[in-house]
Amino acid sequence: MIVSEIMTTKLVTVTPDDTLSHAANLLRQYQFHHLPVVRATTTVETLKSDQKSRKTLPVLEGLLTSQDINMAASLGTWSSSDLLHQPWQERRVLEMMHRATVRVSPTTSVAAAAQILVERGLNCLPVVEYERTGQASQEDEGGTRAVLVGLITRSDLLMALARSLGAFEPGMQLTIPLPMGDLTPLAQLLLLASELRIQVRSVIAAPLQAGIPLAATVRLGTIHPTPLLVRLQEAHIQYTFADLPGEGDSHV
Amino acid sequence: MSEVKANSRARLVYDPAELDYNFGPEHPLQPGRINALIDLLETCGLWRRTGEDSLLPLRAATVEELSQAHTSDYIAAVQTLSTPGSSKAESDERQLLAIKYGFADGDTPALPRMHDVCAHIAGGSLVALSAVMGLPAGGAFSSEDERPLHVFHPGGGLHHAWAERASGFCIYNDISVAIANVLRASEAKILYIDFDAHHGDGVQRAFYDDPRVMTVSLHETGRYLFPGTGDVLELGNGLGRGYSVNVPLEPFTEDDSYTEAIESLLSPLVISFAPDVIVTQHGCDTHAWDPLTHLSLTLRGIQAQITLAHQLAHTYCQGRWVALGGGGYDLYRVVPRAWSMVWAEMSDQALPEHLPDAWVERWRPVWSSVEDQEAAAQQVMGKAPAPTNFPTSFQDRPEDFPAQPRRWSISRANRHTVSLVRHLVVPSSVRQAFPAARSQSPLAGLFDLLHLRGSATPSRSKTLETPAGALLLRDFCPPSLVERLTVDEGLHAFARLPEREHQLLLSIARRPDCALTLAHTPAGRIAGEVTLAPGDEWWEGLENVYEVAIEVSSNWRGFGVGRNLLAFALELDALEDIILYAMGLSWHWDTEGLGLNFYRYRELIARLFASQGFVEYPTTEPNVKMEPANIFLARVGKRVDQRVVSQFFNHLLSTPNLAQL
Repeated sequence: MIVSEIMTTKLVTVTPDDTLSHAANLLRQYQFHHLPVVRATTTVETLKSDQKSRKTLPVLEGLLTSQDINMAASLGTWSSSDLLHQPWQERRVLEMMHRATVRVSPTTSVAAAAQILVERGLNCLPVVEYERTGQASQEDEGGTRAVLVGLITRSDLLMALARSLGAFEPGMQLTIPLPMGDLTPLAQLLLLASELRIQVRSVIAAPLQAGIPLAATVRLGTIHPTPLLVRLQEAHIQYTFADLPGEGDSHV
Repeated sequence: MSEVKANSRARLVYDPAELDYNFGPEHPLQPGRINALIDLLETCGLWRRTGEDSLLPLRAATVEELSQAHTSDYIAAVQTLSTPGSSKAESDERQLLAIKYGFADGDTPALPRMHDVCAHIAGGSLVALSAVMGLPAGGAFSSEDERPLHVFHPGGGLHHAWAERASGFCIYNDISVAIANVLRASEAKILYIDFDAHHGDGVQRAFYDDPRVMTVSLHETGRYLFPGTGDVLELGNGLGRGYSVNVPLEPFTEDDSYTEAIESLLSPLVISFAPDVIVTQHGCDTHAWDPLTHLSLTLRGIQAQITLAHQLAHTYCQGRWVALGGGGYDLYRVVPRAWSMVWAEMSDQALPEHLPDAWVERWRPVWSSVEDQEAAAQQVMGKAPAPTNFPTSFQDRPEDFPAQPRRWSISRANRHTVSLVRHLVVPSSVRQAFPAARSQSPLAGLFDLLHLRGSATPSRSKTLETPAGALLLRDFCPPSLVERLTVDEGLHAFARLPEREHQLLLSIARRPDCALTLAHTPAGRIAGEVTLAPGDEWWEGLENVYEVAIEVSSNWRGFGVGRNLLAFALELDALEDIILYAMGLSWHWDTEGLGLNFYRYRELIARLFASQGFVEYPTTEPNVKMEPANIFLARVGKRVDQRVVSQFFNHLLSTPNLAQL
């Protein structure tokens, strides 16, 4: 799985010259905590047939978090007598934003993005594509510009996890023990499911012990598992479905 | 055939067209069950299909009506798949449609004419609900007395269908279609109770953010069972937060635990939501013999659910009640008996003790032909084998249902789930009026506990002068006093209607372990209340912990009534011997009426209680944890035993581990 499959692409952004009060309103209105700061840059591309097309690209300038705004607000109340006579609401985004130097590209793997988020203690990463520019100008970084294409947050990762567990699709769950990591029962189950036209919502072969899966959890899109369970019994495949009432039940 | 003496205001919706909802001979859902039901009703003389006073004719729902609950591309796809394709290219296209809209698997295969058949079923539920609500779509009746009050539609209840997908044997969601059309045509609030063993996911999805529809689903937990959703924390979204209620019960729940769950939850939910009509789905796959599920009820539990639904409709909705069918896959032994009970309850007729011999003779062979399959299904689902006889009485024989080995731990887990739900969705004053069954009963009434040093007067009173006139404050109000008073219109935060609030106050006053303090005008209008009750289930095991709740009518705000009333209510001898707590839950706050935002309101509450020495504490109490604006305040008396105090603070931040219970 790569970042572009799970990132948020409908973005709410601010420009460096917006006021903090505007940013604070946006954060409150949409109930999130990060705003990418972008500067719209127009490029002129020359196409083959001498046609020129104009594109407006959002070039990433930085990231503004709700924490930055809190900081500005509290500094504003503490330092009433210094140079900053301006109330925090009127200060510009440019003054408080971070440069957001940790960025990922759309093709970064989700695992790598997750690792960066956790290692750096971040909640959010901008996803950028570097575009070459024709002419060099001040804002360019070595002749390229970072065009913002998305944002990936911890929520996106959690939703991706839930989705890959098949949790958003109606289905039931079956657990199959895999003795000694032997995947044959799982393979047989999947063949049977396909034969009986039962959709498989997700397959997880876990937990692992020394790299070997001990059990597989399969989510099946059916309300009526009986035919499948009968076939499983005929093939002598063990399974767990619901908490079977056992005699020696002691976890109370 | 004997004369039918049914209550003339109950009707049954039935049309032979519904029997074409047939997925083939191998499918677990068979229209034969409806046939068996109708046959049983007629053989017992409970209902006649020719009787104008007992049959409500149905019509097909129009595409326009269906589109209130389904997307138009889905309806178009169902229509396309209803007719057989001809060419090869067409069949590939049909395959794509089938995959996209949920017809590709064995559960819900596409049927010829399915649009037509399902539109009839949806129309049946639509007519039923509209007729009960007195809307034109329900047909014309010569007088108000002719209009049916209860309607049963055994062919309905297809609760798994989504707006844009067929799922779990359901194509059009007749429940959502009926409710959505009634919402469009009237201002009604609708309570939907789903008794099916599977979670009512389609209906919940359809109204997840709508505060006018409360969906309540009692089902076997989705840990393993289809559709996997229906957790307690699925509470609704946006404005609809708190209007989706889910009670996931353990596998092998059995009658007693089930009855306890429905009785402690449904009444408080109905009173706090104040619906205009109740729609119930009586899927009887909850029965122990059902091949698809594990709830292990008998007809005793199912009868309790039906009786309760009827009673709730009469107590709170002027009798308006629509009952629907639903799941139920022990087709001939359970479904006809269970749904005859629905009809008998609805039409005030008594069921005979024994099933008619003629009926048993007709349907026993039908069952025998599938008996082996049923036995195999019981076995692969990990259930004890069902007895191999065909029932001859309406009620189940207890000896056919051996007790489950883990009964104690299962009912304990269910009790925990129910108290979590009560916490999350039932406002505290309503909860106090409907106490859950407690393991330890209080030895003495709260009055004695709070007057340890003995008090001469049974209840104190005091006059409070306000700019709007004088108010009488009175504590330990007896029911006789509450009966004479009326409730101010502005007092509606908890029960939402003044007359309901009055009922609520009465039931609090009647309880020996609750204390009710009222502020009322000399003319007898109640302007404010403070209730004091033992901490509910979450605090079980802690002594001397009491919950305080306060409400002041919106017409009496700003005169310091709240502060004075609270101070008066807490002038107790035993104040220093007990721990008091109060919870402020933002979804009960009348922020609009006061023009405050949630955080300002929160401050207001904190200041009000701080005036009586309450301090705010962080807590993991599930209600408070739901929203950052919620607040928990407590006041620990000076003479409270140190051991109890530390228990209390430990409990505040404890994490109840549901899996361990």
